[in-house]
Amino acid sequence: MKKSTALIFGYNKFGQEIANSVNNTYAHVVYYTKVIDDQLEIDNEVDIKIFDLTDDWGELEDSIEIESSIAFCVMSDEAENIFLTISLRAHFKDLIIVAIATNNESVHKLKMAGANKVIPIIETTADIITNMIEKPISNKVLHDVLYADNSLKIAQIEVKNAEIFGSEFPADIDWSRYRGILVLSIMHKDLSAEFIYSSKAKRRPLENGDILIVVGYRADIEEFEKEIGGIKHANWSDWSR
Amino acid sequence: MKHKISRFLINFAYYLQSSSKYQRRKRFFYNILENDKYKYKKYFDIFMITLIFLSVFVLIREVKHHIDDHLLFFNNYVVSFFFLIEYLLRLWVNSSTSKIIIAQDEYDTLLGREFQLQKALKNIVKAKISYIIQPKAIVDLLAILPFFHELRLLRLFILFRVFKLFRYTKSFRTLISVLASKKFEFLTLMIFTFIVIFVSSVLIYVMEGNNPESKLESFYEAIYWSIVTLSTVGFGDITPVTDEGRFVTMLIIISGVAVLSFSTSLIVSAFTEKLDEFKEIKIVEDVAKLKNIYLICGYESVAKEVVGKLKDKKKHIVILDEDITRVNEAKKQGYKALNFKPGSIDSYEKQLHIDFKTQVKMVLCLRHDDVENIYTTLTIRSLDKEVHILSLLIHDVNKKKLKYAGVNEIIYPQELVGMITKELVGQPVAFEAVHALRSDSSLVNIEEIIITEKIIQNYPYIGDLNNKEYRVVLLGLYKKSYDRFWFNPIDDTLMQVGDTLIVIGYTPFIKEFERQLHKKKRK
Repeated sequence: MKKSTALIFGYNKFGQEIANSVNNTYAHVVYYTKVIDDQLEIDNEVDIKIFDLTDDWGELEDSIEIESSIAFCVMSDEAENIFLTISLRAHFKDLIIVAIATNNESVHKLKMAGANKVIPIIETTADIITNMIEKPISNKVLHDVLYADNSLKIAQIEVKNAEIFGSEFPADIDWSRYRGILVLSIMHKDLSAEFIYSSKAKRRPLENGDILIVVGYRADIEEFEKEIGGIKHANWSDWSR
Repeated sequence: MKHKISRFLINFAYYLQSSSKYQRRKRFFYNILENDKYKYKKYFDIFMITLIFLSVFVLIREVKHHIDDHLLFFNNYVVSFFFLIEYLLRLWVNSSTSKIIIAQDEYDTLLGREFQLQKALKNIVKAKISYIIQPKAIVDLLAILPFFHELRLLRLFILFRVFKLFRYTKSFRTLISVLASKKFEFLTLMIFTFIVIFVSSVLIYVMEGNNPESKLESFYEAIYWSIVTLSTVGFGDITPVTDEGRFVTMLIIISGVAVLSFSTSLIVSAFTEKLDEFKEIKIVEDVAKLKNIYLICGYESVAKEVVGKLKDKKKHIVILDEDITRVNEAKKQGYKALNFKPGSIDSYEKQLHIDFKTQVKMVLCLRHDDVENIYTTLTIRSLDKEVHILSLLIHDVNKKKLKYAGVNEIIYPQELVGMITKELVGQPVAFEAVHALRSDSSLVNIEEIIITEKIIQNYPYIGDLNNKEYRVVLLGLYKKSYDRFWFNPIDDTLMQVGDTLIVIGYTPFIKEFERQLHKKKRK
């Protein structure tokens, strides 16, 4: 299911990288910028609009379907980014807003301003560096599983026919019978997430609607999906940090 | 005959210079005697300090008690013998006789004349004497003489052995170097003090020397009285009895206060000025002892986060930054930070004296400036081709340049955000699950267990591991020999030493699992 529009506020390198990452997921990618950075190459195929922070967003509301769109607030000025986020949230209650922040103070403010997800750039970069130093192999594996275009993937799968597991608890199920799939964790309907070997997962049988986080080869995951349910797509309204 | 001696000396000098065995031994003795960074020097210093204190103990004890003859013999001869050996070794390592002979020979050959034996010998004697007349060497020599004990006055010369402590305790040397930095001020103060003492001694002697009520008998006593009064100690054994004498006393007391406060302020200001330098020297010395160092070049926002995380994991971190404000900020956080230019070769060779091969685990170029990171990388690469370098990339146009400069791993935050967004949009729950595994705050962690010989002996196959019993998910096995990761390997997979298991679970359970792997398999 494709969301209709990805709105990227800030025509800069962050915005461009985000656009490259989401252009297969969204039908339209539109940049909004206050000024066009002279140092950036302008791609003639991209849709760039000039906006002002004092805009009342009426035009935007008329041109896109807010409920199925996503906004990325990646303006280089921290204060403007926060102002933009609060301005968008005040106008669009259901718009999914993802923002970037360069420090913890901004993370907190952006969350208060109504961002669904905030990516702390400095902390994330530091996390990646530390992981590369500390656990180089596992870091590479996780990186490949998440981002690289190889057949080993991580997926979230919604359980639709829990009856096939009977009364077996998730921790006791021999997942290896499912073509080498590894189940890492379970997200229950009440949104509580459990590691597969947690005490709770050892005592609570699977129910329809639970989401399994699995790692495996693409083909095996597809087989697994067929057997137990289907791919669970993002539920942004329930998902925020 | 002279020609033969010259030839023999030259040949012998060349032999010594080219003999690796001889040079190795000389280097060893030099290190143990003179090189503060040599790890075994401290043991030698402790041994010598012990001998010194033993000598002083014997001297004090001897005043009122009988000392065992063996202990006296040990003190007078054995200890002296050790000191003599030390003295001769210092004399040996201080200058190279063979080098002087070779230099003379080369010089004479260049001028097309015969080897000047006398000149060479003169240079050798000059080099040795220049060492012998150093105050430290004189103290060493006086501390050796074993006949102290026989001559009662000379016995006090044992105290010279105490002065040898200067050699072995660094704080003394530090004190001397601090005072030396204010040489001119101290000299001025000393001249002033001498004048005050001399004038007041003359005055008090002239005014009170002939007074029958005064206890002042000689000019020597007048000097003694002046010093005691000027120092503000004032024992009171000699006191002025005339009005004139009392007037001189008042003047000298006022001068004394001035001298004391001036010297105190001199010492304090000398220490304050040198404090940063001492701290820097201390850090450099500490760094010299470290292994597996993570060298952080540049202390900006990403570096601050990285350093904080590495510190939590008890890694050895050394920060270099040319900006003193950032260095001070790092120091405030308790890190080893130095105000050296990361892009300058001198920073590593002359200031930090770091050996990349044996000491540095990884270099992290974390300036928010590609030019600086490239410059630093090139500097480090010119010093060491192998050390692992990770660099931050700020503008993607510079990616190739960083690679070309020799960076092993590049971190480009903008690209990271792009990748994260892709996963966030597609599979937010899965992303959060993986993010949690990477995060330190999560209870569930991903860990690497390196397969050792012992683990292989106990559990050769994947199927033997029994990880489920420990509530641990085995994500896969990294085979070192193939440089490849096997996801969820089958039970028959044979493990090899150096392979790495990637496991996921609660940290205590992983630790327990790892502990179990090193124990013998239960039957």
